[in-house]
Amino acid sequence: MGNEMSLRGKVALVTGGSRGIGRAIALKLAAEGSDVIINYFRKRSAAELTAQEARDKGVTAHVIKANLGEPEKIDNMFNEIAAKFGRLDILINNAASGVARSALDLDTRGWDWTMDVNAKAFLLCAQRAVKLMKNGGKMVTISSLGSRLAWPIYTAVGVSKAALEALTRYLAIELAPMGICVNGVAAGAVETEALKMYTEGQDLPQLSWRTTPAGRMIQPEDIANVVAFLCSDESAMIRGQIIVIDGGLSLTSVGYAAKKDDEGGRLGES
Amino acid sequence: MSVQETVRDIVIKIVRKPDIDFTPTTTFKDLNADSLDIVQILVALEDTYDIEIQDEDLQEVTDMGGFIAYIERKVAEKG
Repeated sequence: MGNEMSLRGKVALVTGGSRGIGRAIALKLAAEGSDVIINYFRKRSAAELTAQEARDKGVTAHVIKANLGEPEKIDNMFNEIAAKFGRLDILINNAASGVARSALDLDTRGWDWTMDVNAKAFLLCAQRAVKLMKNGGKMVTISSLGSRLAWPIYTAVGVSKAALEALTRYLAIELAPMGICVNGVAAGAVETEALKMYTEGQDLPQLSWRTTPAGRMIQPEDIANVVAFLCSDESAMIRGQIIVIDGGLSLTSVGYAAKKDDEGGRLGES
Repeated sequence: MSVQETVRDIVIKIVRKPDIDFTPTTTFKDLNADSLDIVQILVALEDTYDIEIQDEDLQEVTDMGGFIAYIERKVAEKG
């Protein structure tokens, strides 16, 4: 993508764009020249701050409050986008929520909440977004390695992310004739506020960077860089893929991690 | 309707316990409220009063009396 602003003049919606990974994506897309619509659920001040940082990069930024677990709120959000921008070029499905419980402790309410926000919302957003993508477009979903790995108390979110990834593939095929590229990224443990919810009382962040082949924790900007590439024309022939961003961690075994830990440093640096 | 009454109505509706004895010393634990209940309570109050509740502020709130006082303060700050 070089130094050119490859997304100049585009209009992008980033769901859950006020903080963490969503914020990093919104600012990266803005840096590439795209106007950004920042959807948020509760933290208007954080959304406004991110929007101002985007404006400082010379683009238009707009914030919209919407709980994506409610279909009518999604409709309202897209009505507002249609009225204000008249089109949409990029949809980043980033907003996520979830009940942190083991499978046997999950109730239907927590399950439905998690599935609604993390999986069903993408379907509803995509259906509305397509109508605004008259000249084609890009959709990128933000998944998690918990879709394929089993992590403690991550059951509902992990299953919802698996559904999101499957939907990414189905939409990639269905929307390809319309010139719309659909892909996703799946990250390992990214250093954000949300991570703390699942790692309270654990040593996961430290453990992760100690056992990641790349030698450090994943930062939100690592995700944003790949997402921006998937939003560019340079990735036009990548369809329905989930790009793993984990510094190589998911390719390793527990034995590898223990060996590396014993060595007290990054493998290959001895 | 006062802030106290509104908080009481929203909390009881969301935790689905219409018959509970709701007093200033009632805690979220007494209400058997889980994390999803609490998020929904906060969202309902934010929408009702157009306020922004900081989750970290609630770490020092131990019961409904403290919770109501916090919401009253946020509403007053907004004017």
